[in-house]
Amino acid sequence: MNLLNVDNLCISFGGLKAVQNFCLDLRPGGLSGLIGPNGAGKTTVFNLLTGVYLPGEGSVKLNGTQLVGLAPWQIARAGLSRTFQNIRLFPDLTVIDNLKIAMHLRGHHTLRDTLLRTFRFQRNERKQTAHALNLLDLFNLAGRADDYARNLPYGDQRRLEILRALATDPKVILLDEPAAGMNPAEKIELAKSIRNIRDKFGLSVLLIEHDMALVMEICEQITVLDYGQIIATGTPLQVRQNPAVVKAYLGSND
Amino acid sequence: MNQLPLKPGNTKGDWTSLIIPPAMVIVIGLLFHFAGGALGAYPQRILLDSGIMIVAAVSLTIVNGFTGQFSIGHAAFMAMGGYVSGFITYYTLLRLTGTTQAEATLIAPAQWLLPASALVAGIVSAAAGWFVGLPSLRLKGDYLAIVTLGFGEILRVLLQQTDRQQFSSEELAAAGWFGVIFPPDVGGSAGFESIPKLTNLFWVYLFVAVTVLFAYRLKQSSYGRAMLSIREDEVAAEAMGINVTKLKVRAFMFAAFFAGIAGTLFAHQPGTLLRPQDAGFARSFDVVMIVVLGGLGSVSGAVLAAIVITVLNAFLVDLAQYRQILFALILILMMIFRPQGLLGLRELWDLWRFTPRPENNTDADTKKTTEIAH
Repeated sequence: MNLLNVDNLCISFGGLKAVQNFCLDLRPGGLSGLIGPNGAGKTTVFNLLTGVYLPGEGSVKLNGTQLVGLAPWQIARAGLSRTFQNIRLFPDLTVIDNLKIAMHLRGHHTLRDTLLRTFRFQRNERKQTAHALNLLDLFNLAGRADDYARNLPYGDQRRLEILRALATDPKVILLDEPAAGMNPAEKIELAKSIRNIRDKFGLSVLLIEHDMALVMEICEQITVLDYGQIIATGTPLQVRQNPAVVKAYLGSND
Repeated sequence: MNQLPLKPGNTKGDWTSLIIPPAMVIVIGLLFHFAGGALGAYPQRILLDSGIMIVAAVSLTIVNGFTGQFSIGHAAFMAMGGYVSGFITYYTLLRLTGTTQAEATLIAPAQWLLPASALVAGIVSAAAGWFVGLPSLRLKGDYLAIVTLGFGEILRVLLQQTDRQQFSSEELAAAGWFGVIFPPDVGGSAGFESIPKLTNLFWVYLFVAVTVLFAYRLKQSSYGRAMLSIREDEVAAEAMGINVTKLKVRAFMFAAFFAGIAGTLFAHQPGTLLRPQDAGFARSFDVVMIVVLGGLGSVSGAVLAAIVITVLNAFLVDLAQYRQILFALILILMMIFRPQGLLGLRELWDLWRFTPRPENNTDADTKKTTEIAH
């Protein structure tokens, strides 16, 4: 059975059909890619899945639970987490606080515990700190735990966003151009990390990426969007050979 | 922001944070009571004024600083608290003792009316805060500011329409309780006179300590961090599972609660006459200025700025007509050169904290970059 079932998702902005009949299945532990030219509707799909936009029709099921109609925070609690194309960290908070905020949804803390500093509160804070430091170790960022997020170099900010999404303890993670702005060596490193994270946390990953080499390298399944419609799905090899894809997108590279 | 002093490996509970700070609340109250009692009337007055301003400014920090919503109607919540608690203490004392003169000694029974009425005033203000907070779910920035401003003006006009107050127990008996409550006999535009003078240094600094402890503990918790994340990036906060709507309204309620207490202390202060204008924009502006000056989101910054502004106010009393010009000028310069306020989100003691935690200090390179980053 698939972990994430997306069926016939559609949305229009005025007369523009931004996404039409979008379908996607993600198996537990799967690593899928979503590619397409600029403006094809990839980020719109992410916004539909995470509740930022309400789809005109269609359904999104996570483990059988319907997500359409839920608020973004409820969807995050259900286990679907994301990163953003243009980095959206909490810039004036420390690196470790950025992660702890994402753990808020899994904590059990009442206002009473918070104000009285009960042992339950202290335990929760300790757990958050320890877990955050462990997460930071994944990208060797533990040494910068107390820095402000805005002071991190660009690549580290992207990595921190991935960690923040992980901190919500998700089942599925959506990565919106995680390698944007990174150099080739960093991209290879990132590809490895994404795989490691997937294996270590038992996640399913759906990623948007412009870098073809990266997508072809790590994704098992690829969906290609153009003008809001799926023009191809399949393994990297199948997609690469699909004439429609070559025409719409890859052709420009030949 | 400061990390909690909790090591990941340490699993024992920490009793000190459970017991000492709450005990300090009483100690601080008593300290100011006895130390302040030794001072002359004028320094005492400045201490009282600063304390009330601290409660007001720190409570506004929860809305403007933590969740980043811009409220410029804080004085309305204060006036609401002042009128509610003043109504309670004034008519209770008038009914029970026939006079509204109250003893100043700490153990006098009338003294306990103050915290009791402060609590009621806080709850009523918090309810109003909930109501005003609702538009914050749809409105942002300037638009929300206008709503809070409007609330203050509405309250000011409503208070002007209230009935003349009853001055003696005979009048009170003649009017009957219902007549006193609907519409409330709180003096209309003439102001609410002769509210029992129950405010003293003990109660003021007890509530200062409670408010500061509340705000600081909130900030240094999962709950408070969730609020700060809304101010930083609402979309990202919601995507990370933060119930933004709930926390925004909560912030308004917390702030209004303590504003109600600040209003109570203000209303019962010797030498003040509570007037409908106290709900208006001019008073809100004073509090906003303090919060912005101290640093949006800094609890200690708000405390410091409240003291500085109150003392400055006292020294500039001869230049009263130029005072507003000076403060407005400070605010303009602040907006140009340091829009996040003197301290920004940080606390005073963070300024001395330049090095990262020792266990992360091994890598010389990391240390270097960290220092540069600070």
